[in-house]
Amino acid sequence: MPERTKLLKVIILGESGVGKTSILERYVRHSFSQQYKATIGADFLSMDVIIDDKPVPLQIWDTAGQERYQSLGAAFYRGADGVLLVYDVTDARSFEGLDAWRQEFIVSANPRDPDTFPFVVLGNKIDLISRPRAVSQKKAQQWCLQKGGLTHFETSAADNINIDLAFETVARSAVKRGEEEEEFILPETVEINRKPAEEQCNC
Amino acid sequence: MMEEDEIVDGGDLGADGAVGDNSNAMDELTETMKKVNVNGVPYEPLADGEYDAIVLGTGLTECVISGILSVAGLKVLHADKNEYYGGQSASVSLEQLFDKFKESKVELPKDVYGSSRDYNIDLIPKFIIGNGDLVRLLLHCDVAKYLEFRVVEGSFVYSGSRPHKVPVTAREAMTSGLLGLWEKNRCRQFFSYVNGYNPDDPEAHEKKDLKKMTMRELFKYYALQAETIEFVGHALALYTDDTYLDKPAEVTVKKIQLYANSLLRFTKSPYLYPLYGLGELPQAFARLSAVHGGTFMLNTPIDEILYNGSEQAIGIKSDGKVATCKYIVAAPEYFREKSMPVAKVVRCYCILAEPPPHTRESGSCQIVIPAAQAKRQTDIYVLVLSADHKVTPGGRYVALVSTTVETDNPAVEIQFGLNLLGHIIDKVVTVDDVLAPRSSGNDDKVFLSRGYDATTHFQTTSADVFDLYKRIFGQNLEIQTKNASTEE
Ligand SMILES: Nc1nc2c(ncn2[C@@H]2O[C@H](COP(=O)(O)OP(=O)(O)OP(=O)(O)O)[C@@H](O)[C@H]2O)c(=O)[nH]1
Ligand SMILES: [Mg+2]
Repeated sequence: MPERTKLLKVIILGESGVGKTSILERYVRHSFSQQYKATIGADFLSMDVIIDDKPVPLQIWDTAGQERYQSLGAAFYRGADGVLLVYDVTDARSFEGLDAWRQEFIVSANPRDPDTFPFVVLGNKIDLISRPRAVSQKKAQQWCLQKGGLTHFETSAADNINIDLAFETVARSAVKRGEEEEEFILPETVEINRKPAEEQCNC
Repeated sequence: MMEEDEIVDGGDLGADGAVGDNSNAMDELTETMKKVNVNGVPYEPLADGEYDAIVLGTGLTECVISGILSVAGLKVLHADKNEYYGGQSASVSLEQLFDKFKESKVELPKDVYGSSRDYNIDLIPKFIIGNGDLVRLLLHCDVAKYLEFRVVEGSFVYSGSRPHKVPVTAREAMTSGLLGLWEKNRCRQFFSYVNGYNPDDPEAHEKKDLKKMTMRELFKYYALQAETIEFVGHALALYTDDTYLDKPAEVTVKKIQLYANSLLRFTKSPYLYPLYGLGELPQAFARLSAVHGGTFMLNTPIDEILYNGSEQAIGIKSDGKVATCKYIVAAPEYFREKSMPVAKVVRCYCILAEPPPHTRESGSCQIVIPAAQAKRQTDIYVLVLSADHKVTPGGRYVALVSTTVETDNPAVEIQFGLNLLGHIIDKVVTVDDVLAPRSSGNDDKVFLSRGYDATTHFQTTSADVFDLYKRIFGQNLEIQTKNASTEE
């Protein structure tokens, strides 16, 4: 059997406006826009992350408005290998929302290892130092510890701080988790637009 | 989230617009500006307040339409009273299934059932024909990328005393126990004719006009026996009863070709099924709709439908808030008074520890019991699925036995199917009306989909999507699929 690098599905969750799309844009397209446009028209972006000199294909899912009324649905979460939980360091409410997002993910995605599942917590917009911080680093770290020692970074999509690190970290934990799961069998799936099999002689 | 700030007073605004008197004039002004006016009455807006179309219910048909509307640039609000996607076509955990259909709460010990949450049981299970209309819709809308499919391993037909594998190649047919009963040569000739038939090529008609000739006559021409006809009509052309026999043969010939073409693509059987259950399908189309700007609200009970003076729907009210629209598209259960039952379907969900006997250990299969075999008017269907498609925990199988109700005692009608399953760990039975819209929707601007019938494939559901589209837009939905053969 040829070795098959599994595609890793990473999803970005968090309240509206915390910078989920900006983080994704920064990582995949190396760009940033000040202008806020609630996400519409995005689903997932694909990108290879290099881990231990090997490219690992990532499929990164952004939300597309269904989260506005908590209506993402189980299929969106399905099969995720890692989650970035994002809040805005200048917005306390966005931090308080994390617990609900984590809970919703666990209930809907039904991962077999909810306590050790790769969540990486990102306090975004750390460049906005002129504004008073609403969430201290300590407070965030405490919460991460409570939830079983989740990794925590403070990031800035604007100034490109810790963005690559965030994706590498979540990908690394996801790869590790995949290796530990011995009984993991990929079912043989098919492409629905595949060509008809060679016309066989049925005589 | 943002909505919470906007709620000024919890109470409904009455017809005379009784606004609280404590707020200052400026606040009041901004508040009224945000309101939605319906028939001269201002309401708090539901979501953005104004939409082109409102879709109610997140069953497959509604979600496909929602996706198509959003892609066309229309502003869509899509709501469901349930807190999950799928409505009638949702997939549920074992606990949810039993809660829904068993009289009292049952314990589900893990050693017997496995983990309840590893089940994704379709309330209405069906298989997808590999070359059928639903696949064309999935490709047309480019939502296949959100889904993973696996081929269904086996297709069986009941004949004599047990299920027989439906032959997938001519050679298999010649050695099949099923065909032992057949006049092999005639059968071969029949299939060779069907295979070569092309409506546009009179050469291939061999002087038979299939637009006039009935299927009964075509069978007679090849002198096929009753068992063969039963097999061809029900296991290949997928008819649920025998009324097709007296209709023009061309339709049936095309159905047999569809089966054969689907087989050519997927070799083991012509059927596909998505990992994690059919509930994934509506969600894929919902995502398409959301990606194109559709607003989704689950857990949103509808208090009232709002109509204008000419009895046309112009909006909905939920929790006192209102959204307006040019028309509503909905599942029939949202408008019981505008729909009517056209049939009853009995379904029995069974949990098994092993695949049914004579199905060659298939992790997924269909068994068709042709009506005549069970001395009925309509066929009985058995669908079996397992952890292969991630719908059960390892070592457990779910079998669904279903048929169109013909008597006052539906539970007895499915017994024939249950007898094929071997040991059944547990089961639940339900009887549902299949609802259909009473009118086209053009007069009242309420376009209803149809309920899901007893067939075990999506051809009728896809037909409903096309029909609904035509009723809304007055023209046919043109499907463009990136043709597989044009790739690379
Ligand atoms: N200063 C600063 N602004 C940021 C940063 N990240 C995002 N923003 C801004 O915050 C606003 C919201 O960012 P988005 O990335 O659209 O937020 P989102 O979480 O995707 O929002 P939704 O799509 O509505 O859920 C935009 O105006 C961004 O320019 C950051 O690191 N620093
Ligand atoms: Mg966004």
